[in-house]
Amino acid sequence: MRLPRQDRYAELEPLLAKVEHPARYLDHEWGAVEQQDGPFHVCMIYADAYEVGQPNLGIAILYNELNAAEGISCERCYLPWVDMSALMREAGVPLLSLETSSPVASFDVVGFTLAHEMIATNIVETLDLAGIPIRAEDRDEDDAIIFAGGPSAWNCEPLCAMFDAVLLGDGEGEIVEAAQAVRDARAAGATRAEVLKALSKVRGVYVPSLYDVVVDETSTRWGYAVPKPGADVPEVVYKRCIPDLSVTDPVPQKMVPYMGIVQDRLAIEVLRGCARGCRFCQAGMTYRPVRERPLEQVVDAAEQGLRTTGYDEVSLSSLSTTDHSQCEQILLRLDERLRGKGVRVSIPSQRLDSFGVDMAAAVSGSRRGGLTFAPEAGTQRLRDVINKNVTEDDLERAARNAFELGWRRMKLYFMMGLPTETDDDVLAITAAARRVLEIGREVVGRGYKSGVSVSVSVSVFVPKCFTPFQWCGQLPIDEVRRRQDLMIRANRDRDIHISYHDAQVSVVEAALSKMGRAGFELVYGAWQRGCRFDAWTDQFKYEQWLEAGRAMGIDLEELAAEPYDLEARLPWEHTSPGVSKGFLKREWRRAAEGVTTSDCTMTSCVGCGVCPALGVDNHIEGDRHGR
Amino acid sequence: MADETFRLRVAYRKDGRLAYLGHLEVINTVERSIRRSGLPFSVGNGFARRMRVQFSQALPVGAFSEGEYYDLVLEEEVDTHEALELLKAASPSALGPYRAAYVPRRGPALEAWLNRSLWQVEIHGEELSADAVSEGIAAVKEAGKIDFMRGDKPRTIETVTTLVSWEATQEAWGVALALETRSSNLGALRPAVLLDAAFGTEALAGAVRSSQRVCRSGQWHEENGRLVEPFDANFTWSLT
Repeated sequence: MRLPRQDRYAELEPLLAKVEHPARYLDHEWGAVEQQDGPFHVCMIYADAYEVGQPNLGIAILYNELNAAEGISCERCYLPWVDMSALMREAGVPLLSLETSSPVASFDVVGFTLAHEMIATNIVETLDLAGIPIRAEDRDEDDAIIFAGGPSAWNCEPLCAMFDAVLLGDGEGEIVEAAQAVRDARAAGATRAEVLKALSKVRGVYVPSLYDVVVDETSTRWGYAVPKPGADVPEVVYKRCIPDLSVTDPVPQKMVPYMGIVQDRLAIEVLRGCARGCRFCQAGMTYRPVRERPLEQVVDAAEQGLRTTGYDEVSLSSLSTTDHSQCEQILLRLDERLRGKGVRVSIPSQRLDSFGVDMAAAVSGSRRGGLTFAPEAGTQRLRDVINKNVTEDDLERAARNAFELGWRRMKLYFMMGLPTETDDDVLAITAAARRVLEIGREVVGRGYKSGVSVSVSVSVFVPKCFTPFQWCGQLPIDEVRRRQDLMIRANRDRDIHISYHDAQVSVVEAALSKMGRAGFELVYGAWQRGCRFDAWTDQFKYEQWLEAGRAMGIDLEELAAEPYDLEARLPWEHTSPGVSKGFLKREWRRAAEGVTTSDCTMTSCVGCGVCPALGVDNHIEGDRHGR
Repeated sequence: MADETFRLRVAYRKDGRLAYLGHLEVINTVERSIRRSGLPFSVGNGFARRMRVQFSQALPVGAFSEGEYYDLVLEEEVDTHEALELLKAASPSALGPYRAAYVPRRGPALEAWLNRSLWQVEIHGEELSADAVSEGIAAVKEAGKIDFMRGDKPRTIETVTTLVSWEATQEAWGVALALETRSSNLGALRPAVLLDAAFGTEALAGAVRSSQRVCRSGQWHEENGRLVEPFDANFTWSLT
């Protein structure tokens, strides 16, 4: 039932003194849109704590787009932390938006961003706290229409029982069209079913209730989705794609939080997409093609953004910032303009070569904290399998270069459980760390005072849809643990610090990545058993997840480890980021043969299928060839 | 080389929803407001290259204030009226600056210098008696110290010097309390800590507070028994 739209802050305020970090619930941040006249109201939700959700660039983009649209207002909401949600339930206060403290259940449209798989139970919790029926099929005619979208929408099937519509791809433009479709249909007196039908006509919008799931001999046990008879919806919904990043707002982040948040800085998206083709990387496949923002726009945006927000740090964000064809000029220009203002420039990811190190040096000034590289695998053989086009020499040269430029602490990211991995590959992780440490000692000197150290962080590989590894099973959890132990035991140097991810979290992540629509029972069952904030180590409850799986006759660990047949119809194939299945299969075969594939922005087309499928092209400002 | 920078003292309020900001959150917000204002602030030479700004003593989360202060070092002398207008335009209204003036460049840190506070506390509760509240506070003062927990850490604050005076007045909604406190390098007495202790005394046994609102209504420097206003133009700082 739709709740009345009214300011209920007075009911929330008495609770503020009793919770941790009341700043999470205050609103009125600098840059927040206070004018919320509507008359059509949308609430965008990041279903995690404020400090995690607030820096999300996707929400910021959609918030601005919707608030700029005629007759539409957009507010934000984050999931209250467990202390606050308990108090709210006790006091009978429903989930409220930030800007006007109106009940989320009073909005016309509520949108969720699917940032990662482990946010699943938080979405159930959010809907429950809001008082909106959790399953779309249980909603009344006038209940809010629930949207979802974001990086993890590519296998949204296990969650789509909760969503009326899923928006695929770049949200710019799409979100406004979708909101307008709801508004216009409502204004015309349409039923809920008619509203959903109208939404299905918006390009890039997938309406789950208009598709049936079929399980047959061509599919996995989760089946595949086909349009319902007479539904008049596409068999495959392709993502929306902005062809030119320069037409988008370069400074979408206008709001300045009061409390410390996880990325407490101005972020300028310098490019979207990455064509390096790492075979484990979902973002690398689903955000194609590569679109660079022009040099002048980046520099002006950084300067203007810093001036209007008051931040003292700007991050040039993207999947591979140092691949920007004008990266060097951008950094030089920023240095000229920002010198003496006490402002830091940061690059979130470093390329594993001397150029990457030079760029890191350019942004760090005289500061030399730690420098991070991601070789991902310990041996050349395995790096070729995953198409991580870096060599032993690249790593050694980058490390030597970094130590010579003054860095003392190196951080290396690896993955464990990659397809074809052997014990030799695992031992090579420690060996690579030793080699980097040895280079550091050669350059800087030995002994405690040299301060040279290497940190190694090892995550567990999770097979993701729309990657060449989507057919793989995850390495069984006991085997992951054995290999983690093997790696740890192989390290005898106290200047090498090895940390690894919790294999249990990865099991749940893998299970959610592989399941189809019936997987919602697992998510709902886990939530009923108290699971929420699963991405927070201290809140994650593995046993409850396993129990929820058992209750529906599933062994989660077995499910995570289950490979899929290369010819099977997969649960997510009715939505598409444009990358063709043929390309993914070819890449899978090349991986098995250890053959690498080049980056199409630096060489020539590799036939991933994205450009013809979406009618777009890579948009490179300068020249990447020969880099 | 002569220091050619300027020390601008700014008074601001903390009210509305922003009363629930912690001290670090206030500092971050004010620093960002200063950056937005475009004032020519000075940056320190340390590793982190931070803005040179000092704040008065931390206000507890949830406490309102009519008089908080910061001292900002500027590279150029900007007209005080203009500086104040720029800061106002760049600050959230609930942390709005309302007065600014230059003070001598060299002088003690603001946090230590403003060592006296006046608090207005509203203690809501239908059955509360002003006399009982007063007696409870007297008992705490008499005890000489308060042992309390901040988070999961045990803390102690002495009450003989930190609690200067108090006056409780009966109101229809409960008790209005005016409280004067003194801080030193040994610590500062927070009204909520004092009241929690007072409500644990025999005088207030069984008394129930439905809520309380704490507001710092002023801060001063105390020297030789005299209270000095933060903007007192006649006060000469001892630089020894």
